Amino acid sequence: MSAKFAAISRGSRRALATVGIAIGFSALPWIPPGSPLALAKQHEQPQTAPTCATCHAGVANSFKSAPMRHAMEPDGANPLLMAHPDITAQLGAYTYGVQTRDGHSTYTVSDGRDTLTLPIHWIFGQHTQTWVLEKDGHYYESLVSFFPRENTLATTPGDQGITPHTLEQAMGRKLLIWETRVCFDCHASGVGDKLDTAKITPGLECEHCHNGAQEHMVDAANDNFKTLPKSLKHLDAEQISNFCGQCHRTFDNVMRNRWHGPAFVRFQPYRIELSKCFVGNDPRISCLACHNPHQQLNHSAAYYDSKCLACHGEAKVASGTAAGPGSVAKICPVAKANCTSCHMPKIELPGGHAQFTDHFIRVVKPGEAYPE
Amino acid sequence: MAISVFPNSAPRIILSLTLFGAILFACAYSLAQETSAQFNDLASRAAAARDQQNVPLAIQLYTQAEQLNPGWQEGWWYLGILQYGSNQYDGAIDAFTHLLQLVPTAAPAMALRGLCEFETGAYAESLRDLEQAVSHGAANEPRNEQITRYHLALLLTHAGRFPDALAQYRALAALHADAPDLMQGIALAGMRMASFPKDIAAEDRNLYEAAGRAGYVFLSGDNEQADALFGKLFASYPKTAGLHFYYGYLLYPHDPKMSGDQFRDELEIRPDGETDALLALTLIYEGHFAEALRPAQAAYAANPDLEMAQVAMGRALAETGDMKRGAELLHQAADHNPNDLEAHLGLASIYSRSGDREEEARERKICRDLAR
Repeated sequence: MSAKFAAISRGSRRALATVGIAIGFSALPWIPPGSPLALAKQHEQPQTAPTCATCHAGVANSFKSAPMRHAMEPDGANPLLMAHPDITAQLGAYTYGVQTRDGHSTYTVSDGRDTLTLPIHWIFGQHTQTWVLEKDGHYYESLVSFFPRENTLATTPGDQGITPHTLEQAMGRKLLIWETRVCFDCHASGVGDKLDTAKITPGLECEHCHNGAQEHMVDAANDNFKTLPKSLKHLDAEQISNFCGQCHRTFDNVMRNRWHGPAFVRFQPYRIELSKCFVGNDPRISCLACHNPHQQLNHSAAYYDSKCLACHGEAKVASGTAAGPGSVAKICPVAKANCTSCHMPKIELPGGHAQFTDHFIRVVKPGEAYPE
Repeated sequence: MAISVFPNSAPRIILSLTLFGAILFACAYSLAQETSAQFNDLASRAAAARDQQNVPLAIQLYTQAEQLNPGWQEGWWYLGILQYGSNQYDGAIDAFTHLLQLVPTAAPAMALRGLCEFETGAYAESLRDLEQAVSHGAANEPRNEQITRYHLALLLTHAGRFPDALAQYRALAALHADAPDLMQGIALAGMRMASFPKDIAAEDRNLYEAAGRAGYVFLSGDNEQADALFGKLFASYPKTAGLHFYYGYLLYPHDPKMSGDQFRDELEIRPDGETDALLALTLIYEGHFAEALRPAQAAYAANPDLEMAQVAMGRALAETGDMKRGAELLHQAADHNPNDLEAHLGLASIYSRSGDREEEARERKICRDLAR
């Protein structure tokens, strides 16, 4: 516990005692549940520093299992690799192996004569995993990734065009300095202006999206609730798309970089903005209409039906509230359920091994090319 | 007319003309035979002189041959080449001009005339010729690529077209071309000095060589070493204007965060509207629209006609609440330059947020077309 917070806690306990004496202990239930004051009373001697969960226990607890919290798995706690302690694959002239012992994994590549083995410290992704490796002070994206659908190692998506000529090239793609920072910044917390991997926390913490949360937490512990994180509640669908797109990539990002092809189907904010039903002032099509970033992802197609029917439901269409001006939401003539299974098809990433749900909502025609 | 007025004389006139034509043809044939023999003799003697490295005689004989047969393309080519090789630039320009009249798309002749014009100080003409030559494929010939691109880059810098110059230097870096003049040229383009390396003061040569080397390493693809070299440069020349802008501009297509930091450092040394506009755009790329407003306003105040400033100001205003004025500025930029992707991205966002689906779809389509 920091000296500063110890003083704050002592102050709070003194305030609590004063309140108790003045109006009797029956006043205690009026202390908001979950507030620092309440916790201080419950535990009498708080020994831990405040966290967001101190006040926002429900959402913080739920976020523990959210995908973004696991955007990077910490070294030593990677359940996926622990469940597959010996993975090997032969790709071209090179043999790859990922071994996990006592929670720690190593990445090995061999050309039959020489072998290179590096520890895996930075594990990107909760399901399909790619690793960032460090060698001689440089960072590399592992040339192979683990694909849980097939429990196999295969070429990392996007690296299919690389033909390694040396063991080092076979080990991984050397990251550009800005790539390294950008990769870590979207998969970890505490990256800041200059990447220092010793100071980062794997996965996203509250502050990552709720800018100002740290300052708010410190001030709130001092009974000052004037400094609040910037509110995200008033963002419209376009702004939310851009906000999430800071990591998940926006329409603007994809256009500026002239990215083309199915490899970029994984950039959902870009894809959804191609949809005819997307319009920035309609909250029913915002990222948050379907996804709660503080919770686990729901993979059931049926779960999303109510979201689609918020515009395409018969009652909505009949009452004229289906869509904004200039657009008429139609009722699907084929089905009333599992909308996403047809209108948001799964697209195989180049190289196979993994699929992504295409967020370009559309009427999919049989045999049509991947639309851009 | 005479034929219709005096119909009876027509056969006689036709006969006379036929006879006259026959006599003329016979004379011309005889003369042509004589001239042809003379021309063939000159041409073969010119080729022999050229083979024997007797340049003055070869030039003399090619000149005589061209007087007899000005349509002889090969002669003009050798006449131009021989004079270019012996520093007779005016004569070479004349020879290449004749050749280009016969074959207007002869890219090598265009390139060589451009190089001759460079030597005579006719920089505008030289720039026009070298630019056209490259667009017609003169730089596709490996033997000519370095000299053509290098001179084009010098001229583009001299004309103040710095981004175009850096594009040529990028191509030269990929060829592993390496020379002190090349380094100084890169630095001039990067630091936005519209001059030639020969004009750099003796006391500044070390600075320009070091700056050029850092840029060259960056353009060659080694961003880590380039970052270290730029770091040393900033430490050695902390108050030199243009250096941070130069590195920021190189980083700009790759990483808005790193380039924005450099533009901020530059603005502390030298306030400049273009730097403010670029800083605003980097903040817009990162989604920091409110932060982008101040530099956008400064850029627009410094130069309201600067397209970048209009786009930055328009987008920043639109995203922070003033959609009407934002749309006006973005339309102004898009009307001036219909290929301005940033202007159309901004307009797509405005129409999306205001619920104008039709205009949004139109703008997004323009963006997709521009990004192809």
